[in-house]
Amino acid sequence: MNPFALIIIMLTVVLGTLIVMTSSHWLMVWIGFEMNMLAIIPILMKKYNPRSMEACTKYFLTQATASMLLMLAITINLVHSGQWSTMKPLDPTASIVMTLAMAMKLGLAPFHFWVPEVAQGIQLSSGLILLTWQKLAPMSILYQISPTINSTLILTLSILSVAVGGWGGLNQTQLRKIMAYSSIAHMGWMTAAMMFSPMMALLNLVIYIILTTTTLMMFMMNSTTTTLSLSHTWNKTPLLTTAILATLLSLGGLPPLSGFLPKWMIIQELTKNDNIILPTFMVITALLNLFFYMRLTYSTSLTTFPSTNNMKLKWQLNPTKTTIYLPPLIILSTLILPLSPMLILLE
Amino acid sequence: MNLFTSSMLLTLLILIVPVMASNFNIYTKNSYPNYVKTMVSYAFMTSLIPTIIFIQSGQDMVISNWHWMTIQTMKLTLSFKLDYFSMIFMPVALFVTWSIMEFSLWYMHSDPNINRFFKYLLMFLITMMILVTANNLFQLFIGWEGVGIMSFMLIGWWFGRADANTAALQAILYNRIGDVGLLMAMAWFLFNLNTWELQQIFLLNPTNTNLPLAGLLLAATGKSAQFGLHPWLPSAMEGPTPVSALLHSSTMVVAGIFLLIRFYPLTENNKTIQTTMLCLGAVTTLFTAICALTQNDIKKIVAFSTSSQLGLMMVTVGINQPHLAFLHICTHAFFKAMLFMCSGSIIHSLSDEQDIRKMGGLYKTLPFTTTALIAGSLALTGTPFLTGFYSKDLIIESINTSYTNAWALMLTLIATSLTAVYSTRIIYFALMGQPRFPTFILINENNPLLINPIKRLLVGSIFAGFLISNNITPMTIPQMTMPTHLKMTAIAVTLLGFIVALELNLATQNLKFKSPSNSTKFSTLLGYFPTTMHRLQPFLNLLASQKVASMVLDLTWLENILPKSISTFQMNTSMMISTQKGQIKLYFLSFLITLALTLLALKFV
Repeated sequence: MNPFALIIIMLTVVLGTLIVMTSSHWLMVWIGFEMNMLAIIPILMKKYNPRSMEACTKYFLTQATASMLLMLAITINLVHSGQWSTMKPLDPTASIVMTLAMAMKLGLAPFHFWVPEVAQGIQLSSGLILLTWQKLAPMSILYQISPTINSTLILTLSILSVAVGGWGGLNQTQLRKIMAYSSIAHMGWMTAAMMFSPMMALLNLVIYIILTTTTLMMFMMNSTTTTLSLSHTWNKTPLLTTAILATLLSLGGLPPLSGFLPKWMIIQELTKNDNIILPTFMVITALLNLFFYMRLTYSTSLTTFPSTNNMKLKWQLNPTKTTIYLPPLIILSTLILPLSPMLILLE
Repeated sequence: MNLFTSSMLLTLLILIVPVMASNFNIYTKNSYPNYVKTMVSYAFMTSLIPTIIFIQSGQDMVISNWHWMTIQTMKLTLSFKLDYFSMIFMPVALFVTWSIMEFSLWYMHSDPNINRFFKYLLMFLITMMILVTANNLFQLFIGWEGVGIMSFMLIGWWFGRADANTAALQAILYNRIGDVGLLMAMAWFLFNLNTWELQQIFLLNPTNTNLPLAGLLLAATGKSAQFGLHPWLPSAMEGPTPVSALLHSSTMVVAGIFLLIRFYPLTENNKTIQTTMLCLGAVTTLFTAICALTQNDIKKIVAFSTSSQLGLMMVTVGINQPHLAFLHICTHAFFKAMLFMCSGSIIHSLSDEQDIRKMGGLYKTLPFTTTALIAGSLALTGTPFLTGFYSKDLIIESINTSYTNAWALMLTLIATSLTAVYSTRIIYFALMGQPRFPTFILINENNPLLINPIKRLLVGSIFAGFLISNNITPMTIPQMTMPTHLKMTAIAVTLLGFIVALELNLATQNLKFKSPSNSTKFSTLLGYFPTTMHRLQPFLNLLASQKVASMVLDLTWLENILPKSISTFQMNTSMMISTQKGQIKLYFLSFLITLALTLLALKFV
């Protein structure tokens, strides 16, 4: 793509998110969302084939519907309270509709159907932006309305999401779809935390973004989109096998890696509020997530996956792709756990 | 007083001496069997002294010798109860044993292990005495188990024969099932009455005695071969004839009935148990009499006859007449032992032929045995004024005049007539007609070792009823008046049985044997009882346990419930969730439905 166009589009994406996060007028929030969505469509369409077109179309339709629902919620709030300020508590009906709109934007179950298909149809780099940056804006809105969210609704969404994220990912070999279901599950954890302690939801979001960025960047380095090609990492870039092992296990929430930190904090918050069954269920479904990450690590780092012998004799050439900040990201995504006492600063 | 206890203990001591002598190799001469026989006869004579003293003075005695142990509040001692039952039974048992031992000197004279045989017989006698004179249940249990073990060793005397071994095992197994009942009764008495002494049990007179009496009834069913635990008695005929004569007709099999008789103070208060005993005894007596009708082995016919008489004794205890049952035990010992000895004489004379279809015409060649056999059969059927009459006729009269189950009475009367039928069968096939055995055998019954015991028991079969019943102290009031037709019932049915059997035998003598009818099959196959219980029951048990172990436990619980079910569930769920059609229309439909439902649920419910 023309570099000028690319820069303008990227800046529009960033601007849209920032407008959403910083505005105090509901209309500006909606405008920010629309800007974000319209600007990201070209990024999703980097390659001009029908698959990408279809993914873009689906993304556009769902996000547009979500924005419409957001508008509906704003209007209901306006009718009931007569003002546009985001600082004031929301009317209950408006809160329900807005929560559903944000759930659609995030890809929470039962609005999750578009996430794997859109993720599969686009480039790895676009998928990176889709799964990480696009989550910031809706999460900030959820954070702002968190005092008035209907707890039944949000917990239902969260339970369904972790279940769908766990079971859906079991049946996949395409890495982009696996990351999509992983995002659904993590969004479920975040919304569960949002109910009791929004700060922990933000913590989860930050660590999730770091982990997903690291993982997708490692995939981008080898241009792997399937488990089979991921399993040839030992031949292409042997150093990466260890890194993939550590990062994927951290994504699954295995102590003592950093992915364990948000899960631990969320479970603590839930149990502090006398909620026992919900965290038990969430942890059990997180096991399903861990299982398919382990399957990936098993085929990548721990064993020599079966393949034709021709594939095993690659030429070791100098890498041409540039990977930004991959080493610090890897460190961040595996070794953060000892810093957990610093969370006391959040109190 | 002193003579009573000392002669009693002397009797028991006389019996123990030969066992000790053989254990410590004291007796070095050659004639150990003769020595044993002589000691038993001395013991018999010595035991007459306390019996006569008891009859004359009418006082019971309990000898408590040795304090064995005290468990918290229960004291176990070695104590002998010398009362009506044990005092009269002991001389009878010793007399019969003496005769049988003399008989087995002739019968087993060619056996190289005859010394051991006599030692086993003597050990059996000692344990039987322990059982009979026991004053507490523990000592009784010692005697009980002892007679069981000796029965096992004696039935399997010819252990080279596979049938003998299985018969011995069968005896042990069936007895063991009965032992469970005895143990349950002992446990109940221990828990509820804190004792095993008979005096204390009768003194306390508990009211809810269903459970222990049921246990004792089970024990009697096992030991005395009542219906349900009866197959071991005919199978026990695999042992030598003296063993059959001693154990399985006179002494061991009556131990079960003896136990029930001992507990008569408890049974006379419990109507339920009495009814159970009555029905069980009636079924037993009729069933075994039917089975005896078509047997071809002379010993088996006498064995079933024993079983039938045991059923009759159980019926008597069931109508609350324990003393009559005891009288029948004593009189029955005489003629049944003699019947077995006559069978032994016939078998040995025909060089070990036991099938009555291959005997015949023996009344000319074995006149003395013929006399004894016919006299014994007449005594068995209750011919007036022979031994059996004094007990059997009284029993039938009591049943007829008591307020009891008419069906049980009917069964007993039918069984009484069948007694005459199968006795006629033995006499007809074995003694009358033309000989059906090969002619090369020399038949000689002139041996005094054979003649004398049979002579003694013959005299006993004829006179013992009269002597015993006139000399014992009356413990109950016999029924004096009854209508004539009730009094003549026993004789009438017996005569009917005799006549029908004789007529049938004479009429069908030269007819061709057709294929058996259903009733014949029922009788020949012993009521299908061994077929089902010995084969079907264990098969079903083993099949069920195999199914449980392999199918239920292994395949289902360990494999399917957790591992397979979890894995199939996960697979199915993940396939269900991750297969999407890809049509955005459907997705939006689901969104719409979710929206509508959520708004409805959260706003208006």
